[in-house]
Amino acid sequence: MFECKDVAEEASNYLDGDLPLAKRLGLLLHLVYCSCCRRYMQQIRQTISTVAILRPQEQHQTDTQALAEKLRTISKTES
Amino acid sequence: MKQKQPASLSQSCYHRLLYSVIVTNGMKKIASAGQMDEKALIAKLIEGDAAAFEYVVGRYHSLMLSVARAIIGEAFADEVVQDAWVSAIKALPRFEGRASLKTWLLQITSNGAKTRLRRESRQLSLDDGWQAEPDYKFNQRGHRIDDVLPWNIDTPEALLENEQLRQVIERSYQNLPPHQRAVLTMADMEGLEMTEICNILDLSASNARVLLHRARTALHHSIEQYQES
Repeated sequence: MFECKDVAEEASNYLDGDLPLAKRLGLLLHLVYCSCCRRYMQQIRQTISTVAILRPQEQHQTDTQALAEKLRTISKTES
Repeated sequence: MKQKQPASLSQSCYHRLLYSVIVTNGMKKIASAGQMDEKALIAKLIEGDAAAFEYVVGRYHSLMLSVARAIIGEAFADEVVQDAWVSAIKALPRFEGRASLKTWLLQITSNGAKTRLRRESRQLSLDDGWQAEPDYKFNQRGHRIDDVLPWNIDTPEALLENEQLRQVIERSYQNLPPHQRAVLTMADMEGLEMTEICNILDLSASNARVLLHRARTALHHSIEQYQES
């Protein structure tokens, strides 16, 4: 029997289609009668979509223009 | 984030090179640049086109750093990525296009980081009592005690119009442990397959899935706390 706690643990596996059939059905059944978990699942979906749009980036101090120029110079000497 | 447009690539070519993220019902599909466009980009790189170099470094440097940090940690990551770039550029004329340029660059980074790590055994332990939601939120039968409150902003676009919330999400992303950040970046932003991610980070599929869920949950918590404040 799927409970709210199980939904919280398995939300990503469910959304990514990585949940075995029996668990998938158990989770779906739980969602039918639990509005809290339906909302939770919707919020996890929305979190995924939001990050995909925001695209936060790894912080770094690299001067990417200088690196690009260095690589171009290496490329020229190699050819 | 807007990418800088390389000056000498044609407008249409540049746009085809950009990756478009299509969000459908909360699940993402990431349409990658076509093979022909990548070939054109590689040809430009081999020709020594400055804008093409700026474009690829701008596009992939952070991603490569994310992988290196996940494998070897902060201290050596920069050096590993710089070395990976040099190896990649030298090997570029022999690039066969069996994988995308992105996957190829990440694989070179991953190999470099793993070599640097040498034989140090750094097993990733996930048996650390982590929970998606703390125990006190559930009763003994596993039911939620309190309601999950609805968010007052209900589309990703609307969420991102709020500058404070953008910063909350950015900060939460930067605070993720490097493995979680790398898996989230590759899965949810770059659209890599889980098998590719496992291969690049040398993780089992179950570990990668756990890391992805932890990262998503951490970001969900940060949005939830902001909404409740």
